[in-house]
Amino acid sequence: MTDLLAADRLTRAFGDRVAVRNLSLNVQAGEIVALLGPNGAGKTTTMRMLAGLILPDAGIITIAGTAVSRDTADQARRSIGLLTETPGLWERLTVRANLLTYARLHELDDPDSQVTRVLDQVGLADRAGDLAGKLSKGLKQRAAIARALIHRPPVVLLDEPTSGLDPASARHVRDLIGELRRDRRAVLVSTHNLSEAEQLADRIAVLKTELLAFDTPAVLRTGGEGIEVSIEFEDGSRHLATVKQLSEVADLVQRLVLEGRRVVRVSPGRRSLEDVYLSLVGAEP
Amino acid sequence: MSAWHRITALARKDAAELLRNPGATVPAFLMVLGALFPGFLVVIGAPMIAGRSLEESGDFAEEAAQAIASMPELAGLSGNALIQAFLFHQFSLFLLLVPVVAASALATHAVIGEKQSKALEPLLATPISTTELLAAKTLTPFLFALGLTWLAAGLYIAGIVIAGEPGVWRTVLGPRTFIMFMLVGPLVELVALQVSVIASSRANDPRSAQQLTSLLILPITAAFVAQLMGAFVIAAPGLLLGAAALAVLNVALLAIGVRVFARESILTRWR
Repeated sequence: MTDLLAADRLTRAFGDRVAVRNLSLNVQAGEIVALLGPNGAGKTTTMRMLAGLILPDAGIITIAGTAVSRDTADQARRSIGLLTETPGLWERLTVRANLLTYARLHELDDPDSQVTRVLDQVGLADRAGDLAGKLSKGLKQRAAIARALIHRPPVVLLDEPTSGLDPASARHVRDLIGELRRDRRAVLVSTHNLSEAEQLADRIAVLKTELLAFDTPAVLRTGGEGIEVSIEFEDGSRHLATVKQLSEVADLVQRLVLEGRRVVRVSPGRRSLEDVYLSLVGAEP
Repeated sequence: MSAWHRITALARKDAAELLRNPGATVPAFLMVLGALFPGFLVVIGAPMIAGRSLEESGDFAEEAAQAIASMPELAGLSGNALIQAFLFHQFSLFLLLVPVVAASALATHAVIGEKQSKALEPLLATPISTTELLAAKTLTPFLFALGLTWLAAGLYIAGIVIAGEPGVWRTVLGPRTFIMFMLVGPLVELVALQVSVIASSRANDPRSAQQLTSLLILPITAAFVAQLMGAFVIAAPGLLLGAAALAVLNVALLAIGVRVFARESILTRWR
């Protein structure tokens, strides 16, 4: 698999305050990685560093094979589509005029047809002539996603893409993000929404200044120790166990039965991602 | 060529936004009227109301006669025409307020508008460099203010042709006026633009930023009053000297502007 985005031991401080310390992560082509963390954990600083907007004090960022430096940051930004936390559209201009400006800034060939393509992609073709300021929040977010995708970047960074959206709009945005995976883009999504992260992401990075965990949702839930199994007994009590392989479940049940316990149900025992997250960041549930 | 492409892409966007926000241009157009009005009031209106020409009232006759030494274009005139020509030259300095006010009004909107709509961060995520961004943010206000300044100068000269004594307008078409509107005007405008952009990085509404830029009005007004009081006459060589000083000031402001417009500054220090 190809790492389209790689960060190696990134550190960034603002004055005396260290926003991000020693962060390493990677995102492969066709992969969605969710970046989770409490407020002030350094998510926005991380996104800005990865987008080439601010440079790290230490560490290396590689975007589509190019190491980002002061000299190459302008070039690296051509390979990145960034959705900022707020849509940041020019509200007095139409959606098409907004996107045309970005198509020109990226020096795309035939900007008009590129705008048409991306409007179709996000389902905004029929609203192209509307003033951006007149759009609903969900449609503004779609227009902002179109702006991030207009130059077909291999790496897409999405900062809180569904924040404040109604369920239908959030669903639409999630579907769009899913399409990016099918297009073989490397997608990094910063979010507070744990269920969204679990639903969308192939891997989840938990950040609180430092990287606390970085793995698939399944491994994070088990803490990397194996498979959790929940066994319910006739008397209503429950036993949670962790096995290394599924084949061990039968042995476990047999042993319990031999001990005289009456097993009525065996099911996957799921620690919720929320439990994992809260235990990692040290917050009170 | 790429840089120019990006600069014009953003400047075109600013021009399109300006067309949809005519309110931003109101101070500039008001300034045109404000700069044209005093000269014609003093030179044409007041004598008409008083029923006596400037020569008959004796006002400014001595200053006008003395000005011939530093402004040889006045030499062929006498009497009322000489006083009119002298005063029209003095009041032409007022027109330099047009580029200051117009540039300030538009530049503050161009920068603070982006801040208010939170459009700077996505913009900074494109391949545009900070110098290109600074150039783009000043291009539309610069062209608009320059056009307006030249329009004001054209109206001023047309007014002199229509209302002034015969021959007065010819003196206004000399090198002094040319230097003022082709060299000093654009340089004053650039100073106003750069101060506006720098002020806009800290202000959150256009008016606050414009207050700082309005300080530029003071030296122009002071020079005008000093001229009228007979302290000195700013002839062509004086204007050239002023232009040189403005050029140096512009270079210094450009250095500050580039620092203010650095990506990190915009993202981490602009409020």
